[in-house]
Amino acid sequence: MSAARLNEYQVVGRKLPSEQEPVPKLFRMRLFAPNDVVAKSRFWYFLKKLRKVKKAAGEIVSVNQIFEKRPEQIKNYGIWLRYDSRSGTHNMYKEYREMTRCEAVVSCYQDMAARHRARFRSVQIIRVAEVSDADVRRPYIKQLLTPKLAFPLPHRVIRAQKGNRALFSAKRPSTYY
Amino acid sequence: MIQRTENSQFDKFQALTIGTERLLHRSWRQPLQVRTSTELLLDRNDPVLTMSSTIFSSRSAVYAKKALHKHPKPAVKAADKSAAADKNVELKGGQKRVVPANKASRFYPAEDVPQPKKSRKAAKAASVRSSITPGTVLILLAGRFRGKRVVCVKNLESGLLLVSGPYKINGVPLRRVNQAYVIATSTKVDLSAAQIDEKFNDAYFTKKTVSNKKGSEEEFFEGEQKKKVYPETKANDQKNVDKALLEAVSKVPHLRQYLASTFSLKKGQFPHQLKF
Amino acid sequence: MLHQGSFQRQVEVGRLVLINYGKDSGKLAVIVDIVDHSRALIDGPTTGVSRQAFAYRRLTLTPFVIKDLPRAAGKTALAKALEKNDTIGAWNKTSWAQKLSGRVARAGLSDFDRFKLKKFKSQVKTIDMRKKERRAAVGPALAQLKKQQA
Repeated sequence: MSAARLNEYQVVGRKLPSEQEPVPKLFRMRLFAPNDVVAKSRFWYFLKKLRKVKKAAGEIVSVNQIFEKRPEQIKNYGIWLRYDSRSGTHNMYKEYREMTRCEAVVSCYQDMAARHRARFRSVQIIRVAEVSDADVRRPYIKQLLTPKLAFPLPHRVIRAQKGNRALFSAKRPSTYY
Repeated sequence: MIQRTENSQFDKFQALTIGTERLLHRSWRQPLQVRTSTELLLDRNDPVLTMSSTIFSSRSAVYAKKALHKHPKPAVKAADKSAAADKNVELKGGQKRVVPANKASRFYPAEDVPQPKKSRKAAKAASVRSSITPGTVLILLAGRFRGKRVVCVKNLESGLLLVSGPYKINGVPLRRVNQAYVIATSTKVDLSAAQIDEKFNDAYFTKKTVSNKKGSEEEFFEGEQKKKVYPETKANDQKNVDKALLEAVSKVPHLRQYLASTFSLKKGQFPHQLKF
Repeated sequence: MLHQGSFQRQVEVGRLVLINYGKDSGKLAVIVDIVDHSRALIDGPTTGVSRQAFAYRRLTLTPFVIKDLPRAAGKTALAKALEKNDTIGAWNKTSWAQKLSGRVARAGLSDFDRFKLKKFKSQVKTIDMRKKERRAAVGPALAQLKKQQA
C-alpha cells in the first residue's frame, strides 16, 4: 500500500515565555496532516482561532506522529466536523468503516468533497472516535454489521490478468458472476 | 493547342508543362517557364565563389575530405641526442663560453602552432554480460546467420564473443560476434572437458593485407580467374573445435536438434516477455 | 447463507478469492472481514498475502468457502482452518487453477524447453494420426470379423 494521504500528529506548543508569564500554558492538539510541516502549520491555524496565541509569539514544543494501534482491524469511526457551505457553517456527524483513523479522515474529506463539493479548507475535523457496533447511528454503516453478512456482486466482468488479456474480443463479456 | 515545332527537345518540354498544368487549380494556370538543363543556377567561375574566404573549410573538414586518416602520419624524427655534446670554449680574456652543438633555429613561427590535445582516456577492458559464459547457447540476431542458435566458445579480449555453430550442425563457422547482437539463453553446453586452442584470439580473425595490385596489368589479365580457396588450416581448426563441441552437445538429448533449429518469434510472442 | 437468486458466489467471511491486480496478482487469499460494499479485509497466511483491505474489483471470487470461519479471525486460526479443510488443495484440483498454473509454467519455460515442447507436441500428433490411419484401414475388416464370430 502506498503511504497514507494523511497522518495523525500530536503537536504541543505554547506562547513564548515572558516576564508577565514565565511559564506559559501548553497546548496539545491531535490533528491530521500529510507531514509534520503541515501539522505545525495547522496547529497555529487552529490555535489562533481558539486562543490568543500566534506563531510569531509562540513556539512548538513537540511534534509526534500517532500510529494506529490495530491497523489490521476494521473499526467504525464517528467523525464530528464543521464545514462551511456556500450559505453558512454547519456541524456534522458522519460514520465510516475503516482500518485506521487516518483512513477514516481521508474518506471523510473525499465524502465531503463528493456530496457537498466542500474543499479541504472549508472542512474542519473536530473529533474522531471509534464507535462500538451497538452505538452506530447511521443506517449505511449499520447494514454492514449484520452477523453472517453476505452479498453477491451482481453484473461483473471477470477480466483476465493484464498480460493475458486480448486487446479486442469477438465476444461480449459475460456478466454472470 | 500545341504547336509543332522543329525542335523536338522543346516540344517535349512543352508537353511536360501542359501535363502539369492540368493538375493545377484553374487560378494557378499560368504559362510555366521552361528552364533548359544547361542553365546553371550559379556560375562556378564567379569570383565571389572562388574567393577562399567564402569556401572556407575547417581543419577537421579538410581532414575528412582528403581522407587523411587513411594515410599513416609522417613520423617525426626524434632529435639525435648522441651527437649532441656542447663544447666549452675558452675565450681570450679568460672567459668561458659554451657553444651548443645544435644551434637553436633563428626562425620561429610567428603564430602558435596548435598542439593536438592529448587524450587522457584509457580504453577499458571489455566486459561481457554475466549471462554469457563459454558454453552458453546464444541466439544470433543480426547478420548472415541471424536466428541461428550457436554455442559461445570463449570471450575474446576485444569484448567480442568467439562462436561456433558447430559448423556441422547448423553451418555457422568459428566466428566473432558482438554481444549486443546476441540473446543469451539459459541453456549451457558443458565445455569443461573441451580443449580450446589458445590461438583463437582476435589476431586469428584479422584479414591478411593483400598486396595492392589494383589497376596493374597482372590484375587485369588474371585477377578474375583466380578463385579464393578456403585455407585448409582454417578448415582443420574448425573441425578440431567442432569435435570437442559435438562431443559435449551429444551428451544432452535433443540439444543437437535444438542447435540445428532457428529461432523466430511466433504469433503472440514478445521478446521482452519471453524467458530465454 | 442462502444463495440469493441465481448468484453462485457471494462476498462472505471465509470466501476464497483470487487476487488479479498488483504485486500479489495471481495469489489466493481469504475474506476475513467485510469493510463495506466495495472492499473486504483479506488475508493469506499460507499464500504469502499480507492482511489488508482489498477492493472487490481487484479480486475474483472462487466457488470455495471456509465454512464457519469466525469474523475477523486471526492469522493462525485462518491458517489452521485452511489446512483443515484443504481449501487450497481443492482449488488446485479445479481446471481453472490448472489452467492458471499451466500458464505460469509456460511462461517460465526456457528457449530450449520451448523447443522440446514443440517437438513433443508434434510427436504426439503424428502418433495420433497414425492411430487414426490404422483404425481407418483395419477398422471395417475388424468389424466384419466380429460379425462373423457372433
